[in-house]
Amino acid sequence: MTTTSLEPENTVNKRYVKALRSSVKHIVTFALIIGLWEILGQNGQLNKYILPWPSLIWAQLVDLFFISGIIYYHFYTTLAEATIGFFIGITIGISLAVSAAFSPVFRRYIAPYAVIFSVTPGIAVTPMIIAWFGFGWSSKIALAALVCFFPPFVNTLTALTRTDEDGSDLFRSMGASKRDYFWKLQFPNAIPMIVAGLKLALTGALLGTIVAEFVSATAGVGILMQRFAFKLQIDGSFATLLTMSAMGLMLFTIMEILDYRVVFWKRDSRLLSVSRKRAAKWRRDHGNIPM
Amino acid sequence: MTAETSEVTYVPDRENTWRFVPKHFAIFLVLMSVWELANRMGLADPLMFPRPTRIAEGMLQIFFLKATVWEHLAATFAKAMGGFIIGTAIGMGLAIGAALHTGFRDYLKPYIILVEAMPRIAVGPIFVGWLGFGYGSAIALAALVCFFGPFVNTMTGLMQIDEESEELFRSCRASKKQIFFKLMVPNAMPLISAGLKLAAAGAFAGALVAEFIQADVGLGVMMRRYVITLNMDYAFSTLLSITVFAFVLFRSIEIMNYRIIYWHSEELMQRKSKRRASEFAGIINKQVSGTGGQ
Amino acid sequence: MSDSLQEAGEAVSKPSATNSDVVIEANALTKAFSEEVVALQGASFKINEGDFISLVGPSGCGKSTLLRLVAGLIEKTSGSVKVRENEVTEPRTDIGMMFQKPVLLEWRTAVENVLLPSELTGKITDEDRSRAIQALHLVGLKDFEFHFPRQLSGGMQQRVALARLLQTGADILLLDEPFGALDEFTRERLNIELMNIVDGTATTSLFVTHNIAEAIFLADEVMVMTPRPGKLARIVEVPFERPRSLELQLTPEFNKIESEVRNILGSYV
Repeated sequence: MTTTSLEPENTVNKRYVKALRSSVKHIVTFALIIGLWEILGQNGQLNKYILPWPSLIWAQLVDLFFISGIIYYHFYTTLAEATIGFFIGITIGISLAVSAAFSPVFRRYIAPYAVIFSVTPGIAVTPMIIAWFGFGWSSKIALAALVCFFPPFVNTLTALTRTDEDGSDLFRSMGASKRDYFWKLQFPNAIPMIVAGLKLALTGALLGTIVAEFVSATAGVGILMQRFAFKLQIDGSFATLLTMSAMGLMLFTIMEILDYRVVFWKRDSRLLSVSRKRAAKWRRDHGNIPM
Repeated sequence: MTAETSEVTYVPDRENTWRFVPKHFAIFLVLMSVWELANRMGLADPLMFPRPTRIAEGMLQIFFLKATVWEHLAATFAKAMGGFIIGTAIGMGLAIGAALHTGFRDYLKPYIILVEAMPRIAVGPIFVGWLGFGYGSAIALAALVCFFGPFVNTMTGLMQIDEESEELFRSCRASKKQIFFKLMVPNAMPLISAGLKLAAAGAFAGALVAEFIQADVGLGVMMRRYVITLNMDYAFSTLLSITVFAFVLFRSIEIMNYRIIYWHSEELMQRKSKRRASEFAGIINKQVSGTGGQ
Repeated sequence: MSDSLQEAGEAVSKPSATNSDVVIEANALTKAFSEEVVALQGASFKINEGDFISLVGPSGCGKSTLLRLVAGLIEKTSGSVKVRENEVTEPRTDIGMMFQKPVLLEWRTAVENVLLPSELTGKITDEDRSRAIQALHLVGLKDFEFHFPRQLSGGMQQRVALARLLQTGADILLLDEPFGALDEFTRERLNIELMNIVDGTATTSLFVTHNIAEAIFLADEVMVMTPRPGKLARIVEVPFERPRSLELQLTPEFNKIESEVRNILGSYV
């Protein structure tokens, strides 16, 4: 019977080979799709004003990033607008939620307005925001903040008002103050949901910024893309769209990393390294742990 | 990509909300009066922040006197609906494929991550470029924006079958088809209907954005025209009608969801129990009389 | 039941029963999930018709794996497992299963849950319906036939699962810690009810548990299993008369068997 475990290196190798094989499969599939698309384009099967092929889009990307370099200005504009809007939006959302969580009266009176907010698509106010704040940065920031404030608001409020009878009894039995209860139990318990709300908010902020740019703007990836599209330079539009996706992916990844590190206790893979760090800190501060 | 992150709804404590209606109303009136007064006294620019009475008058005009809103409302509704149906069909179709076939799921994954990170509404101008200012581009954008919610939720829902349930079905020699329709689908229903709600919101937003970019008819166009001509009172009225419309839309979906997932509601369960009991009445009676006769 | 049990090549066999009585027979049955994870190694045993067998051991000793191999839910790696002299390759109609969780479809009423096995094998007849109602009455759920799982307590939900097991018409019952998630009192009650239902019938039961006293109280024989890798260590006979009452657990004879089982496990845990 072959029950004795194999050499560890062997297993690691096997796992590595398996991962490599699956990524090769993905790359081949992707290459095939791109290749087919390119061949169809080169053979004149595609209309470049409708579906430009990869080499055309690539040429536009090279131009945007390296030759004319005009993308950087628009990229940074959008990124800055979205980020500032995000921070304003989440500050408002979270502070409203915290006040609502602590004051039932306040919670009751903002309820109908929260319902209105939850059903109205935030981007529906875009034209008005433009009229109020003008064509520049401020209108994009305002819309980004407006679109992104709601998810952190709802998630924070829900997480903070979730009742944990046993936890509250435990803290009261130990004579904890309200403040201790909030900071040591209620708030840490709410963090996973708050972070989930922040993830949604970031997507919302980027979305709000881009939509505001579509409606009226002088700079930003949204207006750049629209200009390309209206000039029927669809390859340029696609190149800008890819850039936007990269921006989205970048912001998304930052949030994922934040989530992974902050909410470490829900991630098995993080637990070990955090507990090692804590043990090292304990030894540093209090000396070795007696056996 | 979890259900928790994709479900954002605000559920107020309904009983309390109704009990406090008079107070709510009073506060609302105070707010409106302050706004009205500030406007009349010249503290706020009446052009940019039109006073409530003007907005109310605008509502009256667009809904009844000039009755201009109906045409646009119908157009936006049709676009959102079309996008919703197409997007949901695509999203759920992909989700079923991905849930049932591991290989397909593996190949789909990288593209799904890309689509998730992409601001999907940003494709708007390309669609307008391709499909013009009419219904086509708005429906396409609505579909693209809304397909994701049903996709993620349907896939998660179908895959959250616990091992024992599947083993129970297999130990009764159930076919794959039976496992799918009698176990996986009903089990996924709560998540699927939450996904549909998200999709409705997405489709509506997508249709509006397409109209903001360029269109000939729809609430987005109507609002944009009013803003450009600085008829802010009418713009506000349009915004209000968007809110009302969205509210009606969401409430109908919520009611639908409530009825579909009857096993989450004590009231509906009791009603269903009674109906089932009457269907079985003959069998139970026979048994009672059978045992009584012995 | 008679047991011919092989352990690491050393055969511990007793005079075997006539083959016609044997319902389940395993020979060097082995299941490995990977090269490192061997869930069950070389289990050999025979189970006679009408016997109640308990499978006891700590977690990870392969109890559930053994049960699922007999049920035909997973494929063996080597060895053989036969039910009524046929090699098990897929789930069979004469085998019914019950799990630690009630595994009820929460969108169906109790009786519709009980009817599931009939529904999966064909069209539901009035006779099926009548049997389902009877099964629910038998497990003490009169007046709860049309309640939904959410409206029932944990113990009642498990009773529905028991009724569903009876509805399958199977005469081999595989029970995977069926009352393990319930409180002590409910569990004892349901154990006795289960015993009353299968006692004196030709039903063969294989009952997995990690509670030693429960295992002995219910069974004609206790199969004791040990972990890493999962092995069948020994089969202990339980000679008490039936019907049994709870007081049995206080007798010295019962305690003797209990400490015997504990000793076998003690050297491994």
